[in-house]
Amino acid sequence: MAVTLNQVCFRTLHLDKPWTLATYESAGGYAMWKKILHEKTPPSEIVDTLKASGLRGRGGAGFPTGLKWSFINRDVPGDKYAVCNSDEGEPGTCKDRDILTYNPHQLIEGMLIAQYVMNATGYNYIRGEFDLPLERTEAAVAEARAAGYIGKNVLGSGMDFELYNTVGAGAYICGEETALLESLEGKKGQPRFKPPFPANYGLYGRPTTVNNTETFASVPVILEKGAKWFAELGKPNNGGTKIFSVTGHVKQPGNFEVPLGTSFAELLELAGGLKDGRTLKAVIPGGSSAPVVTGETMMGLDMDYDSIAGAGSMLGSGAVIIMDDTTCMVKALARVAYFYYEESCGQCTPCREGTGWLYRVIKRILDGNAGQHELDMLDDVASKIEGRTICALGDSAAWPVRSFIKHFREEFEFMIQHKKSILD
Amino acid sequence: MNRIKHWVKSFTLWELLLGLKLTGRYLFKRKITIQFPEEKTPVSNRFRGLHALRRYANGEERCIACKLCEAVCPALAITIDAEPRDDGSRRTTRYEIDLFKCIYCGFCEESCPVDSIVETDIMHYHFENRGENIMSKPMLLAIGDKYEDDIAKAREQDAPYR
Amino acid sequence: MAEQELVEIEIDGKKLQVKPGSMIIEAADDADIKIPRFCYHKKLSIAANCRMCLVDVEKANKPLPACATPIMPGMVVRTQSKEALVAQRAVMEFLLINHPLDCPICDQGGECELQDVAMGYGKSVSRYTEGKRSVKDKDIGSLVATDMTRCILCTRCVRFGQEVIGLPELGATGRGEHTEIGTYIEKSLTSEMSGNIIDLCPVGALTSKPFRFKARAWELEQGTSVAPHDCVGSNIYVHRHRDKVMRVVPKDDESINECWISDRDRFSYEGLYHEDRLTQPMIKKEGAWQVVDWQEALTFAVDGLKKVIDDNTAAQLAAVASPNSTVEEHYLLQKLVRGLGSHNIDHRLRQTDFSDQLATPVSAGLPISIEAIETQEQILLIGSDVQREQPIVGHRIRRAYLRGTNVCVINPMDYHFNFDVKEKIIVSPSTMLQELAAVTKAVLDQTQNTRHGKVADLLKQVTVSDSHQRMAKQLLGAGDKVVLLGAHGLNHLHSSQIKLLANTLSQAISGQCGYLTEGANATGASLAGAIPHRCAANLGVAKSGLDAKQIWQSQLKAFILLNLEPEYDCADPQMALASLQQANFVVSLSPYMTSTMKDYANVILPVCPFAETSGTFVNIENKWQSFAAAAAPQGEARPGWKVLRVLGNLFEQEGFDYTVSTEVRDELKVAVDGMTMTQTNQDHIPSTLNFSANVDLERIAYPPIYRTDNLVRRGESLQRSGIAEAAAVHLSANTATQMNLADCEQVTVKQNGQHVNLPLHVDGRVPDNCVYIPSGFAETAMLGVTSPAALTLERS
Repeated sequence: MAVTLNQVCFRTLHLDKPWTLATYESAGGYAMWKKILHEKTPPSEIVDTLKASGLRGRGGAGFPTGLKWSFINRDVPGDKYAVCNSDEGEPGTCKDRDILTYNPHQLIEGMLIAQYVMNATGYNYIRGEFDLPLERTEAAVAEARAAGYIGKNVLGSGMDFELYNTVGAGAYICGEETALLESLEGKKGQPRFKPPFPANYGLYGRPTTVNNTETFASVPVILEKGAKWFAELGKPNNGGTKIFSVTGHVKQPGNFEVPLGTSFAELLELAGGLKDGRTLKAVIPGGSSAPVVTGETMMGLDMDYDSIAGAGSMLGSGAVIIMDDTTCMVKALARVAYFYYEESCGQCTPCREGTGWLYRVIKRILDGNAGQHELDMLDDVASKIEGRTICALGDSAAWPVRSFIKHFREEFEFMIQHKKSILD
Repeated sequence: MNRIKHWVKSFTLWELLLGLKLTGRYLFKRKITIQFPEEKTPVSNRFRGLHALRRYANGEERCIACKLCEAVCPALAITIDAEPRDDGSRRTTRYEIDLFKCIYCGFCEESCPVDSIVETDIMHYHFENRGENIMSKPMLLAIGDKYEDDIAKAREQDAPYR
Repeated sequence: MAEQELVEIEIDGKKLQVKPGSMIIEAADDADIKIPRFCYHKKLSIAANCRMCLVDVEKANKPLPACATPIMPGMVVRTQSKEALVAQRAVMEFLLINHPLDCPICDQGGECELQDVAMGYGKSVSRYTEGKRSVKDKDIGSLVATDMTRCILCTRCVRFGQEVIGLPELGATGRGEHTEIGTYIEKSLTSEMSGNIIDLCPVGALTSKPFRFKARAWELEQGTSVAPHDCVGSNIYVHRHRDKVMRVVPKDDESINECWISDRDRFSYEGLYHEDRLTQPMIKKEGAWQVVDWQEALTFAVDGLKKVIDDNTAAQLAAVASPNSTVEEHYLLQKLVRGLGSHNIDHRLRQTDFSDQLATPVSAGLPISIEAIETQEQILLIGSDVQREQPIVGHRIRRAYLRGTNVCVINPMDYHFNFDVKEKIIVSPSTMLQELAAVTKAVLDQTQNTRHGKVADLLKQVTVSDSHQRMAKQLLGAGDKVVLLGAHGLNHLHSSQIKLLANTLSQAISGQCGYLTEGANATGASLAGAIPHRCAANLGVAKSGLDAKQIWQSQLKAFILLNLEPEYDCADPQMALASLQQANFVVSLSPYMTSTMKDYANVILPVCPFAETSGTFVNIENKWQSFAAAAAPQGEARPGWKVLRVLGNLFEQEGFDYTVSTEVRDELKVAVDGMTMTQTNQDHIPSTLNFSANVDLERIAYPPIYRTDNLVRRGESLQRSGIAEAAAVHLSANTATQMNLADCEQVTVKQNGQHVNLPLHVDGRVPDNCVYIPSGFAETAMLGVTSPAALTLERS
């Protein structure tokens, strides 16, 4: 069965200059926005549609979006905020970059609808390294403003909608929603303790919803084509499409927007398959923080939340990192561990102290300077970071270590014993 | 009969000869006495005698004024005052042991985290004037400097058992 | 407010009734269940970053931090279950891997939270074999020593700066393992309460610099005492080692200082061991000073005084006491002087206007409790740099402000506060009266209040502007209100008029009026009778003696000085010194000997300063706080009350047969408790209000925070700290330009034939046509503090 690509977020990708307002409008863009403002659609109706569509947060945690939006009481006096998390920092993920670059208007429309639902001001927090995406999104906001979609008394509805782009400074942790809010407030990007959740105490202490770029960008299409259409794209409880950023040892790495539930084998094929003569060794199915899955297991899985979770990993941000048989798993883990060591915000003790410890032990294994007993210690240390921190970075740092050791223990033991990789 | 025996013994100085027999036996036995002070008996490397403050090889005094010895001393024989030295390090300005109070229990040495205060095997010392029983810091350091080799050797010998 | 219903939870098998919404750790603390913690502190916001307090909560899928998990009905918490212990031990291990474990050289050793918790949750051998992190130490001033490698990044100090003192000087820079606590740019801390971070720091990263390496926690003996510098009377512990005061730490008292104390209270003990300390009685015979024993010194003093009294009259004798002396000292001093037949006694050293003294109540302090400052809705500060004068009151005002209270000020300088000021009027000292009058008039107008007819008459000529109306409107807002008079109000040239207007204003807004008096014991001194117009316990006198100003003006023949350094402590040092120098006989009871004192005194009797004497301070809320001596007197110094008692005996006066200081206090306390307020608090209404300044350039003079009394002036670390001021001339930019003077140049200040050279600072806080020259310095001692004598500046 051939997979239908690019039905939601990348639906305009085949057009000329899809990032311009003209192109987006020609593909039916902002029609929903106009319709909502014109008909004054009750916000609850929109939330119900999203609930029915089964749209789940595309940033990594997979929380049902409709439910999240329903947490905000739009009648609470004072400011409320809808914040788009475009601080795409998860290693291996590059989907939001392409949405911002190629389809910024759809994101803007999605955010405006969210603002309408929650009576909120919009902020789009864009990763610091995204130059072209920022340029395109800024241009798109300017276009939309000029066209009267943003600003005072939008389209004569009597309602004001403001939307601003802001830029991060390159911290991975600011992709965590509460750290992002701290950063937006001009403070040091460090996650807040929850509860209270952002829905009650968010940006500047006001009710706030934070969603991923892909989530917001999906909203206009869902409303246009209906919840049923979207839900039926995927599998039950895993409705709609998802962009997978396939990287690693494949012939054609890239972003592929496919329906959820597409089998991994099909996705691999879309990415051109493995290089000739190689076999699949391991896959990280949801960005570097997700536990690794062996190639064998992965070939039997479908790309949806539940299936991947069943294999002990998670779909996460949809960054599929393919590793073939030339990959030294110790080296791979050392790189991942170093990333978390560098990116820990330093707030909670286990993560601050533990990530450095993990990295240093792995580094010593790599340098041929460790003992066999340290593998168990490594697993033990990782287990003590897991679940003991304010945000999920602690878990993200621990899971790769534990899963790599679990699935590829012999490679680690070989390296400790022989002071060289099993591949050499 | 007994009376006759007693009478004969008293005239022949029998008891005396009996005593002299023991003396005679020891006269020809191997001697266990030594010629003190020219000769000295061997001393255990764990002997707890006069105190000393040690230095590191580079001449820096070991003592960091943690005052654990002062706290642990059951006889309250140790008195320490401390303040930052010019280089900012924690040092004693006064380190005194009252040898009249000291019971040579060795707790000070046990408690020292830097092996600074030690008890040497020196036991032959005396005081002639009141006040000399207070060992000041320079005195303790001087003992340490003089006997560092012996002290180090004794600690090394004992190290495997600690 | 209705009582909240309690919910039942279970911690470690104990059923507890707790407030819903409170955190697990609070409930556990109340029930005396120990949960280890580092970042949690009851007075700070919750950070939940140390993770030490992880506990096992039933139905939670992972251990939860007790400090940040709110109570739910029916919650079952286990702090010692296997899961909880595994989590706590793991956190302990993480904390220790990069901690230097240099306990033997760490001042926190023995009182370290990390050490204590490690005893219970740490392992004896570390699994960590990598290199440890080391962090460069920061120099953050003369009060707090840093060993940042020991820091466990609990951020208590950071939160203290942000929340409690409102001065975020410390912050965390860097990320992950590279996070460091520091001041961003190297600088000294500039808070008057910065020393509290020493107590907050759970490890030895922030320790006391003056105390550094001096003693270990376990060898210190603890005595309780009361801070001797401001009218708040913070409760403190004095720690001594071999009878020497080693440090001062706060003693919790929720109604006064909570768990904080100001740096002045914490570090001034250094002054006890200053080289000026006098440890032997000294007398001047034929122009030469000699050390004598007490017997001889006392006889010499008594003979000298007797001779003056015999040759003249007892009215030629005056006694002047510092308001930092104890109640017992004040009481005995006045008893002695009055017994000798003189009512010339005063402690109001910097006050210059005494015209209303008969009308003011005997214990004029704060009519509300210190705690209640937090619940006021409107606060008006008149002539007060409250944060520097009474740091704890300042802190309470900040707490009120954070709750939403509006604070208005009328000040002679634009002081920086750690609370925002809603309406402020910054004018020269003389104009302050006029502005206060205008605000009072605006309030009377707005409320159409006719009860203050006499005052209203005085205000007829006053013009009211918008700013006055705004402030009046603010003050008339809802809720409890208090008007607080600070040093610049109480020591104003026309303080009686300021007080009159402040009282009228507070009554018109249905609020209260409080006086933030100077020194630790001004209230006690008044009650004890160290004032010329009333005996102890408010008993009237036939004819008032001379007040502090008249004493110096009257060229008297004999003086008894108690804890006094007139060149720093008096309103007009020039006049005070001249008066002392012409006197025949001066007895100074002082812990310190200065060269000036050698000049004017005939006998110097070494009395014990704070911590070496027992005594009582009465704070502004009229709370009597007694304390015992916390350390032995130095040398031959003796407690002031004992010296005064013996002087009484030697003068063969009745009623000086006390054996302990509490007898003195009890005698006075009984009298005060039975005190009748015969002198009602009638307003003293002058015929006119003095609005105009009589000089072109008005001097604002007040001793800066660390120059207020003889003890703190000798606290060397305080003198080197970030907020210690130096003697200088401060002018506004406008006035400096007008006078053709530039920032940082040396100028000559001339007044009454005296001249001094001082550096000039252009200071935005000073209003135009005013010059701020702090008093309390040797350099500025010869300038009249509130003297209206013309003062000129010129380039030197």
